[in-house]
Amino acid sequence: MDSALIPKGAKRCSFPKFTIGIAIVSAVLLWGVYAMFLCWFKGLNQTNMNDYYGFALWIWADLAVIAVGGGAFFTGLLRYILKVDELKNIINFAVIIGFICYSSALLILAIDIGQPLRGWFIFWHANVHSMLTEVAFCLSAYFAVLTIEFIPNILENRQVNKVPFFHHLAHNMHGVMAVFAATGAFLSFFHQGSLGGVAGVLFGRPFAVREGLLIWPWTFFLFTWSAAAFGPCFTLLITKITEVITGKKLVKDNVVYLLAKISGWMIITYITAKIIDTIYWAMVTAPSLGFTLSHFYTDNSFYGYWILVTEIIICGVVPGLILIMKSTRENPTLRIIAFVLGTIGICLNRWVMVLQIMAVPVMSFDTWALYIPSWQEVATTILPVAYGIILIAIAYRYLPVFPQEKELNR
Amino acid sequence: MKVDRRSFLGLGLGAVAGIAVSPVGLKLTDDSSIWTQNWPWTPVPVDGEVTYESSVCSLCPGSCGISVRKIDDRPVKIEGLADYPVNDGGVCLHGIAGLQYLYDPARIKSPLKKNGDKFEEISWDDAIAIVADKLADIRKKGSPEKLACIADKEQGSVSGLFKRLLKTFGSPNFYTMPSLESYLEVTAAAMHGEGKTIAFDLENSDFILSFGAGIIEGWGSPVNCFKANASRKERHAKLYQIEPRLSNTAANADKWIPIKPGTQADLALGLCAVILKNNLFDSNATANFKGGFHKLAAILQKNYALSKTAEITGVKAVDIEKLAILFAKAKMPVAVFGHGRGDGAQSLKELAAVHTLNCLVGNINKKGGTFVLPKNEYLEFPDESMDSIADAGFAKSKTGRYVNQLIEKVNASSQPAIEALFVYNTNPCYSLHDPKSVKQAFGKIPFVVSFSSFLDETAKEADIILPSHTFLERLEDVPSCAGLAKSVVGLTKPVIEPVFNTKNPGDAVILIAKALEGSIAQSFEWEIYDECLENITSGIWDSLSEDGHVVISDGPGESTAVNVSFLADNPVTIQAQGDYELTLIPIDNMRLINAGTTASPFAIKTVSDRVLKGSDIVIEMNPLTAKGLKDKGFAILTTPMGNARVMINLNEGMMPGVIGMVEGLGHTLNTKNMSNKYVSNKGVNINDLIGPVIESGSGLDAAFGIKAKISKA
Amino acid sequence: MKQENNKAHKFGMVIDLDKCTGCGSCMVSCMSENNVPFKEDESNKKDSITWMRVYKLTNGKSFPDTEIVYLPRPCQHCGGKGDHGHSPCISVCPATATDYGYDTGIVSQIYTRCFGCRYCMGACPYHARYFNWWDPKWPEGMEKYLSPNVSPRMRGVVEKCSFCYHRYQAARDTAYYEGRDDIEEHEYQTACTTACPAGAIVFGDLNNPFHKVHQIVKPDPHPDTRNKHVIGKSRNPKVFRLLERLGTNPKIYYLSEREWVRKQGDNYLDGEWDEIKNHHGSSSHG
Repeated sequence: MDSALIPKGAKRCSFPKFTIGIAIVSAVLLWGVYAMFLCWFKGLNQTNMNDYYGFALWIWADLAVIAVGGGAFFTGLLRYILKVDELKNIINFAVIIGFICYSSALLILAIDIGQPLRGWFIFWHANVHSMLTEVAFCLSAYFAVLTIEFIPNILENRQVNKVPFFHHLAHNMHGVMAVFAATGAFLSFFHQGSLGGVAGVLFGRPFAVREGLLIWPWTFFLFTWSAAAFGPCFTLLITKITEVITGKKLVKDNVVYLLAKISGWMIITYITAKIIDTIYWAMVTAPSLGFTLSHFYTDNSFYGYWILVTEIIICGVVPGLILIMKSTRENPTLRIIAFVLGTIGICLNRWVMVLQIMAVPVMSFDTWALYIPSWQEVATTILPVAYGIILIAIAYRYLPVFPQEKELNR
Repeated sequence: MKVDRRSFLGLGLGAVAGIAVSPVGLKLTDDSSIWTQNWPWTPVPVDGEVTYESSVCSLCPGSCGISVRKIDDRPVKIEGLADYPVNDGGVCLHGIAGLQYLYDPARIKSPLKKNGDKFEEISWDDAIAIVADKLADIRKKGSPEKLACIADKEQGSVSGLFKRLLKTFGSPNFYTMPSLESYLEVTAAAMHGEGKTIAFDLENSDFILSFGAGIIEGWGSPVNCFKANASRKERHAKLYQIEPRLSNTAANADKWIPIKPGTQADLALGLCAVILKNNLFDSNATANFKGGFHKLAAILQKNYALSKTAEITGVKAVDIEKLAILFAKAKMPVAVFGHGRGDGAQSLKELAAVHTLNCLVGNINKKGGTFVLPKNEYLEFPDESMDSIADAGFAKSKTGRYVNQLIEKVNASSQPAIEALFVYNTNPCYSLHDPKSVKQAFGKIPFVVSFSSFLDETAKEADIILPSHTFLERLEDVPSCAGLAKSVVGLTKPVIEPVFNTKNPGDAVILIAKALEGSIAQSFEWEIYDECLENITSGIWDSLSEDGHVVISDGPGESTAVNVSFLADNPVTIQAQGDYELTLIPIDNMRLINAGTTASPFAIKTVSDRVLKGSDIVIEMNPLTAKGLKDKGFAILTTPMGNARVMINLNEGMMPGVIGMVEGLGHTLNTKNMSNKYVSNKGVNINDLIGPVIESGSGLDAAFGIKAKISKA
Repeated sequence: MKQENNKAHKFGMVIDLDKCTGCGSCMVSCMSENNVPFKEDESNKKDSITWMRVYKLTNGKSFPDTEIVYLPRPCQHCGGKGDHGHSPCISVCPATATDYGYDTGIVSQIYTRCFGCRYCMGACPYHARYFNWWDPKWPEGMEKYLSPNVSPRMRGVVEKCSFCYHRYQAARDTAYYEGRDDIEEHEYQTACTTACPAGAIVFGDLNNPFHKVHQIVKPDPHPDTRNKHVIGKSRNPKVFRLLERLGTNPKIYYLSEREWVRKQGDNYLDGEWDEIKNHHGSSSHG
């Protein structure tokens, strides 16, 4: 039925089957959209956020999708600037994932703020001292870059590409993509960093605050580094999931190994820095403010040392080691475990840097504040996932996302 | 022109691009942000000329001077009135929130008549006519004494008018609710003679020994007490607080002496015994003692020896001895009675025992001690004209001594003991112990008239409601009568036109009297209440109307005799009702109100989540008492009177074995048409769980707490 | 001395915790003065707007040695590290909706500019900032008591204590009208200060040596020798600030005779308190 749109020589499932799949995911999407409208029209009382949890599930989701979307900028950087040529076979997909993550992040922010119609004040009345201002500017700009990076791939659709103008446009855009990739990498570096800065500059919150370099707290660099390290993990994980769902091999092993290896080394260097940061914070920064490490991990029913160990060791050191060693990296099971752990690790890090900060009491007579999100929050958080699945499904079906697909599925 | 796909696409894209570069988007974005700043459903207060009007708050007996800030004719803020002799600029949260009462959703907007279980709005003329007809019927039947009235207080012109109406009608049945004022008078009557009251000079005392009085929790004239307490720091005056719970007063005191609930009287007598034994009393003062001083001394030595008192009260013998010496040797000691706010149940034994301490150390009518003063008599009503029915009826004895006995009588008799009841400015169906039996009595009274401003628990039981102005809408004299060392009469003035179709209760009484005609009408010759007030306060009216207040007396009275006969008869200490292991005691919280009006939405908002959580009341108990019950968990609290689901607050400030529950919650100010969801249906009314226990001899309900048990919910 | 008078104001407060009775007058006075809304259930204190909140502190000892004290907490009007005006909240607001008044030391909040990102709330360790989760609604007719001096806030924005800034403006207007350069101490007092029946709150200009607040606090104008970020540490041994060590430099000072109360003002490692409790700003500038 829609065969004219499907890339030449690619096999896709039947249109009805595709439609049913999309319909199921769309139902979830609509649930999320319903919740989104509830939040917009009735206000944020629809959430379980409160004055202790001004930042909650959404901001975590926001930071998490941006972190895992970091695969786009880092792969782009490797492909276009550092000329790691093999990565051209995965760059399209990395860009699509990045596009989904960043558009989701913007949507979440639009739901999260109390006065969405005034959201543009962040640009109009910008406060240059605020990390959030930096985030907003870089995020918007980088989203524009991602869109530009995504366009050539769209233009490669069989029907669109028939139009000579679009054909040439796509071709020429590929030619100048290095410029955008460089811009993207630069922007991404800053906004990933400034998202880290969001937490690090909170000098009223001893759990969050970090010393740093000039105006940038260490979390600034750690966030950028971690996004670059774990982003490719996520790209590879989604690639693997797509391969399983489509039942096809889409990217050659050598490409996967290469990106996994780079990711592994990035993780190892990041986690080393993170461990040093944590030790310095626990031994110097926090004690100078009157806090011991135990203050942050005891006397409450949820946040224990387990979260620290899980984030840093189990979901940091372990996947890093798996991915840097050839034998384990090339073992399909271990590799997938590493991707999963890595993705959990980065998400957990963002959770800690958003929600645990809010939970820890600072005044000596204050108490821990725990929070459980409302269904509206959960629904709007799942919304981007559903949207991402749909976009990936459509992109995969109609666009030549994986250059190696034909060769691998002859 | 043929529109093909290409040109259509082109046009479309062109249009989009055109709009995108036009200012339309920017304009809409800007408009939307302006719109969000002016949402039509967010009110915009109207500006106007700022003025200030002075008045007096009459929400509680404290009678503080207030300054009302107005914008044109709208009051927008209530503040304390500087230099007012009671509160000198300070003000409590209930007074500040006074404006909320004006627009309270539970306010009665016009006279109401009960029809079945619903109220119908009627006109004032009809309402007065119905009341007058009904009363005329009662009079015709020859039993005018079967008209009764329950008011909040004895003093003041409005109570005076009610009393006058009853007297000229032919009824002696005027009652006031138990309050600190009534206890002061009962104590004074028992020990110094009728027509007197007692005042405490806290601001000059150097040693305040409080037997549970919530000096900073609403006792007496609250703001005045706050100030007296705060000045202790500079004056180096001490406050010792004796009660089972670490109240705010106990926490703020120099020393908290935990004591078994209900044994304050015994401790006071134990202290008397030490003072007597060690010859620490003022012999000049004891020369004035009569009614069996030696008998009392003998009883004290026998029954209140140190070890015995220690055993009864749970206070260590050495501490009792030390305390007695400290108190007796202080320059200006004063012993203060009244649990919490001082309007709860009290035994005369305790009142007399505590006051005997004052008498023994000779602080009566001395600076920094207690003042025995004549009751604040500043009103000069002209003589009533009484017809024979009135004379005969008024000469009969009261149906009951106090409100409790009245309720009991009504419930006990098969024929209506009372034919008609007026209720003014008080809420007995909420604030008396065992409100269920009070409601039952109200049900048995054929005709109940409420003068309430709000559809509270008692107003809901009425047949006719003649709604009163709030204190912000009316003129009224407000005598201070809460143990204040100064006798001050203030003038409440209307600061706003009446918001609803209500009247000054004084006017309602005058209208009823006039409708009753004859000698009753003759006794109410005034056209309106305002004229009446000016007339009956003529001696002080000029300064009252000009300055807003008159200080009637400021300082100690003359020396007076002390009658100790009540204690010399060795009365028994009232025990809490029931056999359960634990004792439930009421907690008075400054942020709540337990008598008269209900706390405002603002006041309720300030209440801690360890007192009220959602609609659940939170009780306090020591972790040792909890036995497996968890903090913030739920439990069932059972007393001989009933049970309630409660949340637990494990509090180290509670004596083990004692459970504390706050007073002033559990209001039900809702009917089908009206509800005040901000203050209503929150928590439990502790009075539902406590029954009255009458002290023989005094006739007072003396049930401070009740035995209770607690089990997992 | 004269020169000091011409300096910018630095309005601040000292609250005597030994006098505070926890009665709640300050809270209600604040609500009434500033048109703070209320809703059906206010028992969830994490979404209950109380610009002035009164905390209950306990010494943690068991019966009968328990002690409690009440601690009123308005916005602390932090000066930020080094008292340069970069309070935790101001520095993070992306839209400049909260700002520092260098002439008053007051941290302002512009409701119509705030778009509700709540970053400032996350930044404030005192929980002094409140979000309008709901539309403010008054029972029918009750909106008539609203004061025109403070605009009611719309849903979706953050609000907080302003030190009753409108009272400062009014006092300044009066002074200007009467041809005076500056306002008197008594002319500008916050609603909580005037309402406190115990007289526990003293408000005034911390920079003005004639003001009572300055005389009680005796703020040290020099950086604390132990922490260069801390300016204005009290030289009164009974006076402390909340979380002073963070370098937020609040303008709310607390006074208590009780050591356990003062200790709860900040966080200390084991053994630190005994060392720190006797350190009260530089003595050389007394």
